Amino acid sequence: MRRSLLPGIGLVSGLLVLLDLLIVNPSLGDAAGALYELLVLLAAAAAVGGGATLAVHHARALRSGNGDWIGSIVLLVGMAAVLVAGLRPGSSGSSDPAVLWLVAALLAPIAASLFALLFIFLLGAFRRGFVRRGRETAVMAGAAAIVIVLLLPIGGQAGDWLAGGAAWVRAVPLAGIFRGLLIGIGVMVAVSAARSLLALDHDDR
Amino acid sequence: MTDNLAPSGGGTLRAGIRRGAPALLLLVLLAGASLVPIGADSAALRLASPDRSHVEQLRRAIGDLPSGALVLVACDADLGTYAEIRAATRAALGDLAAHGARLAIVSFTPEGRAIAAAEIDRIARGGGQRPADLGFVAGSEAGLVRGIASIVPKAAAGSTVEAIRQRGGGIGAFDLVLIVSGNDISARSWVEQVGPRLPALPMVAIAPTFLDPELEPYLRSGQLVALLATLREGAAYAEAVGAGSVAGPGSIPGPLPMLVGMLAVLAVLAESAVRRLARRFVRPSFGRRSS
Repeated sequence: MRRSLLPGIGLVSGLLVLLDLLIVNPSLGDAAGALYELLVLLAAAAAVGGGATLAVHHARALRSGNGDWIGSIVLLVGMAAVLVAGLRPGSSGSSDPAVLWLVAALLAPIAASLFALLFIFLLGAFRRGFVRRGRETAVMAGAAAIVIVLLLPIGGQAGDWLAGGAAWVRAVPLAGIFRGLLIGIGVMVAVSAARSLLALDHDDR
Repeated sequence: MTDNLAPSGGGTLRAGIRRGAPALLLLVLLAGASLVPIGADSAALRLASPDRSHVEQLRRAIGDLPSGALVLVACDADLGTYAEIRAATRAALGDLAAHGARLAIVSFTPEGRAIAAAEIDRIARGGGQRPADLGFVAGSEAGLVRGIASIVPKAAAGSTVEAIRQRGGGIGAFDLVLIVSGNDISARSWVEQVGPRLPALPMVAIAPTFLDPELEPYLRSGQLVALLATLREGAAYAEAVGAGSVAGPGSIPGPLPMLVGMLAVLAVLAESAVRRLARRFVRPSFGRRSS
């Protein structure tokens, strides 16, 4: 019973959304709209639950003295700062100037700086990769080097040739491989979803 | 005994400095290169794409808007890739404002919301007209579909918000949607979820390069009216906006720091490969001699 409940919910929800897309009918539209409202609520609840679990995990780590206590304190203080700024009496929530300042002046630059350091870490990973898995790393590094050469910001005729080469690589081999992967993933998802909805996996077991 | 073998404090410091020196040197080089005053389109160095077709498409889409048009900016970029499309996004916001468009910004991802908040703050600090802030909509693609019926928060106020409400309050109220794409919600989500429900709504997109292979077919099929999906196209667009409108050029990345960074990467890759080859071919021959 439990095994057929989830595929059943999925089947009904999927059919409702599909029919709403195919048929113009106000009642069907209202039913699909209610379903979307539920999905949004579910996603919001999952996000709140995830945040609460994270806070509890780090609070427990702090109490037990295990793990990175500085990281836990920074995380909990950060969460508290945003929550206080957004939920204090008189605050306008996520559009409150204090929240906007926290996000614009602290969160965005810090996160962007961390991602910018990926450049350095990636180079370090390549060096280690050459030592441990030479052949695979050499293939990746070769492809990366070709792309980097094609993207060099050079002017004049040479720059035009390189830019043309980069556009060709993007439009032909890269796009071909990428679309092939997407089509393959799409087919596999469709097959898996159909098997799950029609309970074929259940019959196999 | 073990204490004698452990490295001293000074030795550990020296080893740490030696390990971090290449990265520090690279950062110093990049900082130095970014201070050298070389234009984005000098004779020797050029960042902007020589192919201007995508730039012209976006400029035409914005130029064709009636004065006072309602434009929705769907800001769902990632913090990791936003640096690549920041110049193009800011130039597009400036271009839209220069054409008299009334902007509203919404986000369907938390990272996109962070970036949108930073951009709204930047526009307000710069003295520009503050876009209507439609905030964050939860639920990812389900939230996107729900936004077709209603996208304006109840608490939102202002002349742009009232104009959106008068036209129905949903995504269909807008004359154009500018999609600032990221990994989770990109122009693909908009084409799939909003395109079939609002086929007359024109959509343009700015995206980081990794999304180009999946978005380019939507441009060719006309489901996207315009698409900027590489740094070089973004630089070309920012230059074009700076040259042809009152919006100003915005901040275009300099080609010299980029060239220095790329050459450093090539040097590191070449050094690693040479070292690998040397280890593979030189050592065995020494081994054979010694045996």
